[in-house]
Amino acid sequence: MHKHLAHAVRRALRVAAAVLALVAVTSCASSNGPTPILETGSTLLYPLMNVWVSAYQAHHTSVAITTQGTGSGTGISQAISGVAQIGASDAYTPKEHISGETLLNIPLAISAQLIAYNLPEIAPAHLRLSGAILADIYSGTLQYWDDPRILAANPALRGKLPHHTIVAIHRSDGSGDTFLFTQYLSNASASWRNGPGFGTSVSWPPSSSVGANGNPGVLQTCESAHYSIAYIGISFLSEVETRLAYAALLNPSGAYVLPTTASISSAAKALARRTPADARISIVDAPGAGSYPIVNYEYAIVNQDQPDAKVRRELASFLRWTLSVRGGQRRAYLGLVHFIPLPPSVARVARAQVARIR
Amino acid sequence: MTASMARWSAARTKSRLWWAASIASLGLIIAVLGSIFATVFVHGIPALRLQLFTTVTTGIAGGLANAIAGTLLLVSIGLGIAALTGIATALWVVEYAPPWAARAVRFTIDVLVGVPSIVVGYFLYVALVESLGWGFSLAAGALSLAIYVLPYVERSADVALSDVPTTLREASFAMGARHAVTIFSIDLPYAMPGILTGLLVAVGIGLGETAPLIYTAGWSNYMPTLAPTHSPVGYLTYVVWTYISQPFAPSHALAYAAATLLMLFIFATNFIARSFVDYRFPRHHGH
Amino acid sequence: MQRAWAQPLLRCITAIFAALSFGVIAIMLVFLIAYAYPAIRFNGTAFFTTLTWSIGNQYSDHTISHGGYTAQIGAAFGALVFVAGTLLSSILAMLVAVPLSLLVAVALVYRVPPLLRPLANAVVELMAGVPSVIYGLWGIIVLVPFIATRLSPSGNGNGLLAAALILALMVIPIIVATVRDALQSQPVAVYEAAMALGSTSWQAVTGAILPSIRSGIMASVLLAFGRALGETMAVLMVCGAAINALPHSIFSPINTIAAVIVSQLESALTDTTGMAQRSLGELAVTLFVITLFVNGIARVVLRGGRSRSAA
Repeated sequence: MHKHLAHAVRRALRVAAAVLALVAVTSCASSNGPTPILETGSTLLYPLMNVWVSAYQAHHTSVAITTQGTGSGTGISQAISGVAQIGASDAYTPKEHISGETLLNIPLAISAQLIAYNLPEIAPAHLRLSGAILADIYSGTLQYWDDPRILAANPALRGKLPHHTIVAIHRSDGSGDTFLFTQYLSNASASWRNGPGFGTSVSWPPSSSVGANGNPGVLQTCESAHYSIAYIGISFLSEVETRLAYAALLNPSGAYVLPTTASISSAAKALARRTPADARISIVDAPGAGSYPIVNYEYAIVNQDQPDAKVRRELASFLRWTLSVRGGQRRAYLGLVHFIPLPPSVARVARAQVARIR
Repeated sequence: MTASMARWSAARTKSRLWWAASIASLGLIIAVLGSIFATVFVHGIPALRLQLFTTVTTGIAGGLANAIAGTLLLVSIGLGIAALTGIATALWVVEYAPPWAARAVRFTIDVLVGVPSIVVGYFLYVALVESLGWGFSLAAGALSLAIYVLPYVERSADVALSDVPTTLREASFAMGARHAVTIFSIDLPYAMPGILTGLLVAVGIGLGETAPLIYTAGWSNYMPTLAPTHSPVGYLTYVVWTYISQPFAPSHALAYAAATLLMLFIFATNFIARSFVDYRFPRHHGH
Repeated sequence: MQRAWAQPLLRCITAIFAALSFGVIAIMLVFLIAYAYPAIRFNGTAFFTTLTWSIGNQYSDHTISHGGYTAQIGAAFGALVFVAGTLLSSILAMLVAVPLSLLVAVALVYRVPPLLRPLANAVVELMAGVPSVIYGLWGIIVLVPFIATRLSPSGNGNGLLAAALILALMVIPIIVATVRDALQSQPVAVYEAAMALGSTSWQAVTGAILPSIRSGIMASVLLAFGRALGETMAVLMVCGAAINALPHSIFSPINTIAAVIVSQLESALTDTTGMAQRSLGELAVTLFVITLFVNGIARVVLRGGRSRSAA
């Protein structure tokens, strides 16, 4: 019997040797060919990046761009370490200089966030909610759907809202969605600002919410738990429309606004002029009666110093294409995920950031 | 009717009830497995198309050729390393090692089982991808899989080799065979079913893991290049994990197709390896 | 093969591989402890006694210092919630999985007709092969909605019960396979003798057969327990990701050490002081200590079992 085995071992060794030789040959041969560029990070930006890259690659063969949906934190950290050239992020970097590296925050598009809920009694009506009410719900101080504060904001729904505990759902993974949502709560509530604060993951108040993984996990959990509420990226608008319902949110002008192309554009335009040269700004709670409050820039985080000349050239060329009106900013691409193009003045800021890559 | 007969009759009823419970338990896990299959296959099988095998992943959907090739490469290299290292380690521990060294090796291996896969992945990310500058690569990905599944291979080989009856080995020595010959002609063939069970568990675990690969193999939309470093590799679990999170129906279909292929692949491996071993090395029954 | 050099060569090669596997694991564990060391100093004993986990404010320029190490302002790393969640979910999983696995194994060996046996065995092996992500997916699509609508009073299905049931499913094949193999290796004579003495078939199995494979059962249970403690993805998807709060019922959200490492790593990477990452490292070290502890118990129990059966 050992003959079989010895034979098998010899054959396995021969195969291993062949594989090793093949590896050696191909690794020597692979230094020529298209310049590799690695994009990694935000799962919210990932679908758009995929669409962009396949469109761009159709006409540009001197570069091979790989996209990875790993999360904004990974995107930022790998842009710093140089493992990736483009770190996709829903949130701007905490600082411009981290670990001795200079990070460029390049806005690529405008995204927004929905507040979704599962209320069979009133579906598909749009509930009106404010940052203050949401802060109280997520703090556990506002526990029932028929709370006077919710009724005061929704006089039309008096008598229809059930006396049932609210199940608040948050993202368990680090996420740009959490960053945006907690910024909206921090703006409206001092106790939230001084308590959990804002960030890609926060220390949720003890009494409150249930965590779910990723936007689909949140969607699924919200759907399975009656009387639950959650925050979900605008990319999931059609899923939320068919399976749940979403709220009109109170903006700083005192109006309740639904997330529409017009209300998101209005918010973007209102804050376009205030966008600083490094583009690190929150555009949550933009002024204007028609502005939707939870809106953000999607960023490419790029290390200013790119040692390889070929990589530098291809990287800048791709980023300029994503920012051009006839390139990446076309509605055919952005509309797939319900994003909005950058206002011209912000696109100029972004292009100036791209020009700083050296 | 005497008291003892009544007792016996009660015991018989109890016996029947317990057997019923036992068969019901088997039925329950079959039902759960069926439900898991249905969940995946109902969405996955309609999504299986020939194109999946010939085109690469692009944009919001595309094919799976790059992920299938990457998975096969990562798992065969990673499992190859783990099998070689694990079986050789087990041989040394069982055949040659002084007792204190055997204890030390077994102890570290047991501890490795409880280290979450993400920790293995993150360790190699810091050590290989960043510090040694390998970048996301086949070598880093295969090594992370190898380390992660090593304890399953080593422990099962260890247990299987330890279980070889001493009478068999003594008979071999008595016939004048050398130690090395005994290992190849008696120990390894006898232990083969056990070793293989461990390898199969390792293949299942290796194929099903995402966390160690995200930080080491990365992900790529292109076919793997075979370059050991500086070239990220795609794999099927990434598609399951990431494409299920996208807001598009075609992406979900692709994720379910990847999950279906993954399960079919694991089952095929199990089936082929099992029938091979049952044919070559029939299981020993009783003592 | 009858060559004098074969023996020392084989000995030498296997020793090299053994040293290699020991070395890699040892390096990894030493690296982990060294990596976590600043967090161990910064957090002190509060790590095991407090409930609050916060990586602090990433967007503030202020930092706090403790024990000579710096973290973001507002940072607090108390792991009690995660340690409790890990132990509770794994113990509950074993309470479900162990009796169920024993019943299934007994049914497989004594009640499934020989013709159907390969099929029934295949079920167990397929269960072992289902990837963790897919258990999680089934959890959020089938199990969690079931708990939410049928069982849970609050209407929430993600939590301790869901996590424990998923873990139970994942470890059942490990226990069943081992117990089944052990049962099959038992001489038929024992069963027949017990029957001849007037036992019912069930008494023969529970009174005569199961006690004699007790140490094998214990070994598989502890291996399964180790697996449950370290399981990540499936638990992450159904546990409800509790933070800062201990569970008060089986429907409460929980969190486990492995799940929290994956879900918090993303945000921890943006902590410029690095303390959040290192505290996750300390969590990994904690899990590793728990595993050591479980293994230690396993060894003591096994030794006890062996000496009893030898006596």
